[in-house]
Amino acid sequence: MSEEHSQAQAAATDGYHFLIHRLHSLTGLIPIGVFLMMHLFTNASVLAPGPAGMEYQKSVERIHALGPLLVPVEIVGIFLPLLFHSIIGFMIIYTGKSNTQHYRYGGNIRYSFQRWTGVIAFFFIMYHVWQLHWVGQPFRGGSFRLYNESGGPAAAVTTAEAIKAAWWVAPVYAVGILASVYHLSNGIWTSLITWGITIRPRSQQMAGYVCAGFGVILSLIGLGALRGFKTFEVGSGAVQTAESLQEATHH
Amino acid sequence: MATATHGHSKHPHEEHAHANGRKFTVRVLRQEMAHSGSHWETFELPHEEGMNITTVLQRIAANPVTTDHEQTTPVAYDACCLEEVCGACTMVINGRVRQGCSALVHKLLEESPTGIELRPMTKFHVVRDLVVDRSPMFQHLKRIKAWVRVDGYHDVGPGPRISPKEQEEAYPLSRCMTCGCCLEACPQFNDRSPFIGPAAISQAILFNPHPTGRVDRDDRLAVLAGQGGIVDCGNSQNCVKVCPKDIPLTDSIAKAGRDTTIYKIRKWFGR
Ligand code: HEM
Ligand code: HEM
Ligand code: SF4
Ligand code: SF4
Ligand code: FES
Repeated sequence: MSEEHSQAQAAATDGYHFLIHRLHSLTGLIPIGVFLMMHLFTNASVLAPGPAGMEYQKSVERIHALGPLLVPVEIVGIFLPLLFHSIIGFMIIYTGKSNTQHYRYGGNIRYSFQRWTGVIAFFFIMYHVWQLHWVGQPFRGGSFRLYNESGGPAAAVTTAEAIKAAWWVAPVYAVGILASVYHLSNGIWTSLITWGITIRPRSQQMAGYVCAGFGVILSLIGLGALRGFKTFEVGSGAVQTAESLQEATHH
Repeated sequence: MATATHGHSKHPHEEHAHANGRKFTVRVLRQEMAHSGSHWETFELPHEEGMNITTVLQRIAANPVTTDHEQTTPVAYDACCLEEVCGACTMVINGRVRQGCSALVHKLLEESPTGIELRPMTKFHVVRDLVVDRSPMFQHLKRIKAWVRVDGYHDVGPGPRISPKEQEEAYPLSRCMTCGCCLEACPQFNDRSPFIGPAAISQAILFNPHPTGRVDRDDRLAVLAGQGGIVDCGNSQNCVKVCPKDIPLTDSIAKAGRDTTIYKIRKWFGR
């Protein structure tokens, strides 16, 4: 590539190149990273004491209290940033050539993992959102319901049904959770370098411990939630029937 | 490998795979010209005290016969300083990029007892055998203006003072010999990416705070904030691991990330 050519090309895309990559970093952190944390916290409320699934039901109802605004908020706040982050993410993956077989350094392996977990998160999220939101009954697509005729913790019941639909669903979720959480935790660590906050090896090392701790805790929350749904039984615990569930909702 | 119980053996040399006189093999990836195909050739030579890869290549040149008893041409290689300060002899040795002049055969044989493997760096065009064209690195240095501007050869008096603290920051970065190790090991430096790589980024960070170098600061930041600049780094940190001069490249990368962000925000506000 001649120098003039590369500079002319650079001049044309300079401003956007930088902006796009900074937005890639930012979208990973702010809408998507924060969403992932809140989402796993919300899901973990299935483990809350009291009538099975009621706490989770209430959390989901609080989110759905946005009413007709929910869909635009989800599109602008989650799906568009995720789509942007994913497209740029795949483009970034294309520009890299992994060489972990010759250079087996921790940083290099984390670099490769960041890319693999991004790809896994992408396909997991597609499957996950399809399974809970979109139609396609044969494989239990679009099965999430907030309410059903008999009332009660329909959100927890339908989520649990989705996760118990086949033996492989829970393992797929476990992989999806671990990949997403690794990607976020390591992403926070790299973003601190990207934005020039951790500069010295020492501060990067400290940040590494904090991010690893964050990742372990968030993984436990996510896997705990998964286990909560996998072992969820409507008839279990204090609440026995649909009627008493309904009562629990109203008192 | 020798064990303690054999310490009194009559033939201590035979216990060392790399003892003097002991034969070892060297596999070399050969390529006649820039665009020709490549093939492997294997040589066998006796070990000598303190032997390094440059010596190995000299011995092969003196007697270019392969293990298949075929007469071949001497292996082309670059070398100059022979003390790891010029970077000319950089190549991939046993799968890892480093300088031939400071790579000792007995250490290499400990790493890989079956023999030594030499190939040219993969991120640059091969000129012949182990000689590559590192000129893209010099183009990158030009792009980021890796120099201090002086307006001619006349005496302009003493330069501005630099504090010991600034010196301490600058000196490690100034040790770069443009050898290419960091680029060879960087997963983001390749033909699918416009990335200029960590060496040039670090040089920009060397010259930016310099009292005279500062005049070109914004020009350097503009390049670092552009296509192939800092955002094309993926933070694998291989560069800092392989740099033979122990240059704190990841410090420079983080600083470049910070400085370009501030620079861009300044630009958006039109200043
Ligand atoms: C314990 C594991 C998980 C459970 C039980 C779970 C459950 C759910 C449920 C019930 C919904 C529909 C919510 C609604 O419509 O109000 C949903 C949506 C969604 N989930 Fe998950 N999820 C889990 C893990 C994850 C992970 C690891 C990700 C990765 C980032 C993720 C990403 C999403 C996205 C992007 C949506 C669509 C956004 C929305 O509708 O608000 N989920 N999840
Ligand atoms: C679970 C949802 C996701 C979250 C929370 C997330 C978050 C992040 C964060 C915080 C970073 C660090 C940015 C930086 O270093 O400055 C990052 C980087 C990255 N993400 Fe994601 N991301 C998600 C999904 C995805 C998806 C679906 C892809 C598509 C393949 C992807 C690809 C990447 C890549 C390639 C990087 C590395 C960027 C670089 O090194 O410059 N991510 N992500
Ligand atoms: S930064 Fe280190 S590895 Fe890179 S070119 Fe300079 S001396 Fe070589
Ligand atoms: S930290 Fe950046 S520059 Fe250094 S090897 Fe990794 S991708 Fe390349
Ligand atoms: S000959 Fe100069 S670094 Fe090896």
